[in-house]
Amino acid sequence: MNEERPFLTVRDGLLQPALEEAAQPGGRLCLPYGEAAGGEPMGGPVHFPGGIAMPVQIERVLGFGRSFSFWPLLFGLACCAIEMMAMGGSRFDISRFGMEAMRASPRQADGMIIAGWCSTKMAPRVVRLYEQIPDPKWVLAMGSCAISGNIWDTYSIVQGIDSLIPVDVYVPGCPPRPEALWQGLEMIRDRIKQSRHAYDGLRRIPARDLLAASAGEEPCAPDASSAPTPIAAPAAGTTA
Amino acid sequence: MTPGEDTLQTLPASLMTAVEALGSTFGERLVERTEFRGELTLSVDPAAWLDILTFCRDDGSTAFDQLDSLLGDHLPERAEAPFAVVAHLLSHTYGHRLRVKTALAEGQALPSVTGLWPSAGFDEREAWEMFGVVFAGHPDLRRLLTTDDFEGFPLRKDFPLKGTVGGRVRTDLRGKI
Repeated sequence: MNEERPFLTVRDGLLQPALEEAAQPGGRLCLPYGEAAGGEPMGGPVHFPGGIAMPVQIERVLGFGRSFSFWPLLFGLACCAIEMMAMGGSRFDISRFGMEAMRASPRQADGMIIAGWCSTKMAPRVVRLYEQIPDPKWVLAMGSCAISGNIWDTYSIVQGIDSLIPVDVYVPGCPPRPEALWQGLEMIRDRIKQSRHAYDGLRRIPARDLLAASAGEEPCAPDASSAPTPIAAPAAGTTA
Repeated sequence: MTPGEDTLQTLPASLMTAVEALGSTFGERLVERTEFRGELTLSVDPAAWLDILTFCRDDGSTAFDQLDSLLGDHLPERAEAPFAVVAHLLSHTYGHRLRVKTALAEGQALPSVTGLWPSAGFDEREAWEMFGVVFAGHPDLRRLLTTDDFEGFPLRKDFPLKGTVGGRVRTDLRGKI
């Protein structure tokens, strides 16, 4: 290991054998963990969509850093966005936690805050924005409308955004106070440190399953052999 | 004379001139004239809708150069003509305003005023998708606020208030959004 480097990088010893093995013809990237990584109790690798696994202690280092620079998408749907703006202002000031850099492009964001009700017309855009955020990503559903549709059990509102995309943290309220959003973002930070994502047990996006079902195709699973039972995606039209 | 005639004195002088010009030109086709707190409303014959609004825009005494809004309404207690279309006009020349209404039966088409004010395009699309009022001659009468495959007219009084009805979430919109 290079003594001049103060921080762990992928070129340092832990990952080097795996990278060399993956560079061989026909090689597959299989990162070490458990016994292969020195026998420390680590509880298994962290899986990402696409079959990539990361050893836990690397992920802990990355998660520690990520938790101090969670950049949400600059995206407000309804009145909850006013409270989200208050959270970004000087009184509540999420820049204390490295979250003030709300990115206007999903490709630069680490997650999104679903701030407000989502109409059926807007839903495809929300799904597209979610899919454009690179992994790993975290989603916070802010307010009763994003969680369940609230009083808008009507013709135009999605009854809970988790019927379309996986949600990490739910913040109830109508609208939630900025303190409540703050607590939700703290819970997001805990999940970042633990490298837990809403799509961990899912490995798929419910909206895309709905699409595949409507097209008569099998839902695509990145790793069919080990894919867990998918969470049944509630169709938006099943409200009584 | 209508009951509102006595209170017309509170209206702006320019608007009184405009109403007199409208009355002398269209006569009986102005069905009703009401005033409330200095705001004038004319109910007109739908057959004269386009003529009256053209006069409102082009005549020198009216000079309504801006269409503030155009909207629909559903009044099911009126069995003969349950639908209404309301246009709000504003004149920058005189600073006066006018509301023009018309009553429509189910399925009765109304001529589009997009040729007079291009801003009527979105308003007429919304009135059509929410109430089912057809605007004849509209260049692009598509749904505006709901999804393309939405069924029904959600702001009609008989549309179910509760439940996800009429439309559904579309996810196969690649290339369209």
